[in-house]
Amino acid sequence: MDKQQRIKEWQEKTEQSMNRFPERKERFHTSSDIEVGRLYGTEEEHYPMESLGLPGEYPYTRGSQSTMYRARFWTMRQYAGFGSAEETNKRFRYLLDQGQTGLSVAFDLPTQIGYDSDHSMSRGEVGKVGVAIDSIEDMEALLKDIPLDKVSTSMTINAPASVLLAMYIAVAEKQGVGPEKLSGTIQNDILKEYIARGTYIFPPKPSMRLITDIFGYCQEFVPKWNTISISGYHIREAGANAAQELAFTIANGLAYVDAAIESGLKIDDFAPRLAFFFNAHNQFFEEVAKFRAARRMWAKLMREHYGAKNPKSWQLRFHTQTGGSTLTAQQPDNNIVRVTTQALSAVLGGTQSLHTNSRDEALALPTEDSARIALRTQQILAHETGVADTVDPLAGSYYVEHLTDELERKANEYIEKINQMGGAVAAVEQGYMQREIHHTSYETQKKIENGQEIIVGMNKFSIENEPQPELLRVDPTLGEKQKEKLQTLKAKRDQNRVSAQLDSLRAAAKSDDNLMPIIVECVKSYCTIGEICGVLREEFGEYTGV
Amino acid sequence: MKKTIRVLIAKPGLDGHDRGALVVSQALRDYGMEVIYTGLRQTPEQIAAAAVQEDVDAIGLSCLSGAHNELFPEVMRLLHEKGADDIIVVGGGVIPWEDIPFLESKGIQKVFTPGTPTIETAKFIEQAVYERDGITEEVFSGVAPERIDHIGIAVKSLDEALPFYVNVLGLTLEAIEEVPSQKVKVAFIKIGETRLELLEALTLDSPIAQFIEKRGQGVHHVALGVTNIQDRIDEMKSNGIKMIHDAAVPGAGGASVAFMHPSSTHKVLFELCEKTKSKEEAK
Repeated sequence: MDKQQRIKEWQEKTEQSMNRFPERKERFHTSSDIEVGRLYGTEEEHYPMESLGLPGEYPYTRGSQSTMYRARFWTMRQYAGFGSAEETNKRFRYLLDQGQTGLSVAFDLPTQIGYDSDHSMSRGEVGKVGVAIDSIEDMEALLKDIPLDKVSTSMTINAPASVLLAMYIAVAEKQGVGPEKLSGTIQNDILKEYIARGTYIFPPKPSMRLITDIFGYCQEFVPKWNTISISGYHIREAGANAAQELAFTIANGLAYVDAAIESGLKIDDFAPRLAFFFNAHNQFFEEVAKFRAARRMWAKLMREHYGAKNPKSWQLRFHTQTGGSTLTAQQPDNNIVRVTTQALSAVLGGTQSLHTNSRDEALALPTEDSARIALRTQQILAHETGVADTVDPLAGSYYVEHLTDELERKANEYIEKINQMGGAVAAVEQGYMQREIHHTSYETQKKIENGQEIIVGMNKFSIENEPQPELLRVDPTLGEKQKEKLQTLKAKRDQNRVSAQLDSLRAAAKSDDNLMPIIVECVKSYCTIGEICGVLREEFGEYTGV
Repeated sequence: MKKTIRVLIAKPGLDGHDRGALVVSQALRDYGMEVIYTGLRQTPEQIAAAAVQEDVDAIGLSCLSGAHNELFPEVMRLLHEKGADDIIVVGGGVIPWEDIPFLESKGIQKVFTPGTPTIETAKFIEQAVYERDGITEEVFSGVAPERIDHIGIAVKSLDEALPFYVNVLGLTLEAIEEVPSQKVKVAFIKIGETRLELLEALTLDSPIAQFIEKRGQGVHHVALGVTNIQDRIDEMKSNGIKMIHDAAVPGAGGASVAFMHPSSTHKVLFELCEKTKSKEEAK
């Protein structure tokens, strides 16, 4: 199609969509009253239409929507959760009152690894890095007085994602909200658990089955739910560089697509619900370029390699969190500045939602004060800086476009290597990504120690006798309280019904049936997460690492 | 013989963040230690058992989930139960500063918080293990020699040898003097920052005469420039080095010198040599 014609059609389509999704302001302008247009660059004679496209159009280099933040800011979604369900519910309602627009639940490690709070492996861990959930009772307390048809909820849960999603559906039903109205995301990305994050339970094969069962179930019953958040975040935190983060995330994404197709699903039925999750680190322009490259790479793969027809299948939509491992324990207030530039790179890279880290996360869980400053950082970027007033403002920068091309090239080299190994699952089983990441992380550490890389306040500009900040403490008696709660529940529930449901679960695990419907029944019968995962552990076995 | 220190790096609890544990493992290996990494999700029982079975000198516990106050002391209790209290235990991870005194009271020797250079961890473990084992000779605490002051070469006749150094090599003859205490006549030839010291015997019982008789002409000794020579002599002796001179004697050029016995220096005759201050300043 002729370039002028294409731009004209894009303008018409954009105007039309604005009838439904109007922009934030009638007119955008700078402090000097210079008009701020929606999009710049297309008037250039040599505008690279093929590699950049137009916003909201293939290959989405310039953004996944046509008006981007001129219509609506990114979702400000702070990851939170600690201690008991009741305590976390309070923090959620505080964040919503402060203007946060989505929830993001952090679960404690026993929940993430499918153990009840009274299991011997749970010792010391109950309620520490997130909220402790044993049964649907805890989930009800967690979501008390939060309108689930209005708030979208992201849950960082992987190996037992089916169980937590089932609980969410069941609690919504009790609130009178049907599953078709629910919106949110489960992380559900097991491959990066093997690679970088460590909260796996089952071996790869049954894990991939649990994931594709969720894809199939949600397509039918929970259509607005993002069924997976394919995560580079933890790969980066484990020490990868930007190109490795990009490459391994997309390689993992391809493995899920392959598994879903193999299980009989059609690409355009599940691909629109795939979401991504990236890190924002310190190298500002490289990070912006990474997000732009990711969109373009995914669009090409989905359309050209998999033949997806629905444009929503081509779109890579992503959440971003600023880089936890870039924060220093020394002079923690400096971290506010790091978080600000990282968050800005995510915004200029076109993220759909954003978590900004709190300054004290290298020391402990964030205090309420720190969590508020982190949220304010996003609000300042959104409301005070004007960076959200035009679409993809860094496009056309020689440097940013070069970095975008180079990251795509380097990532494709890795992906090619992984394909030759038989795909991401095989590469993970051979420990390939793990080794690559470890190599990079050790090199980085050496550079920091010999001063080649400077970390302000840590290996340079340090101060003696730093004041010690106030830190958040989790109630140390929580483990015991949670155990008691569990015992009370076990005494009062209908034990026969529990046993019957667990038997059905076992039978389903042995068959090829979709496990989601029976897991929903299990949680409604007050089976605990440890009991459900216990049955699956017996049937599927456990992964023990490379 | 340098002792090879064995370290167990362990991840107690359910925490899956092992970047720090892996980096520290690698750094300790590069430092020369033997490192065993347990992998994720180890119970305190598994860690204590592995430490005893592997006969390690030290354990590094890594935890970023906040479970350290329960899990670290439990490891200590189990080590005690197994009679393995002599194992040095250190910890690291996301550990609030206010928890550190408690962990130390439970026997954790040191907690390394984020940002600690790995070399610091390695040195701490090394020193703690050496202290426990009463090993001192490995830890060099003195002051190293600063330069090669000169190289001593035994010749039969200065008159015969000097033309080679001065006319052929083109070096500068600085001075010729007799050193009665050593029964030698020496010629100093300057070369860069150092000197060649040609030695000719004055008497038949001079050490140089004996040397030439036994081995022929050639390199005789290497002189190491030091300060506070008496302290250096005492240091050498405390490290088991046999000295020819227990106290400094006057040497050529106004220096104070002392020789070490070749039997404890792998057959090289070394001389410790301190130039007096005024001489240094005169240069």
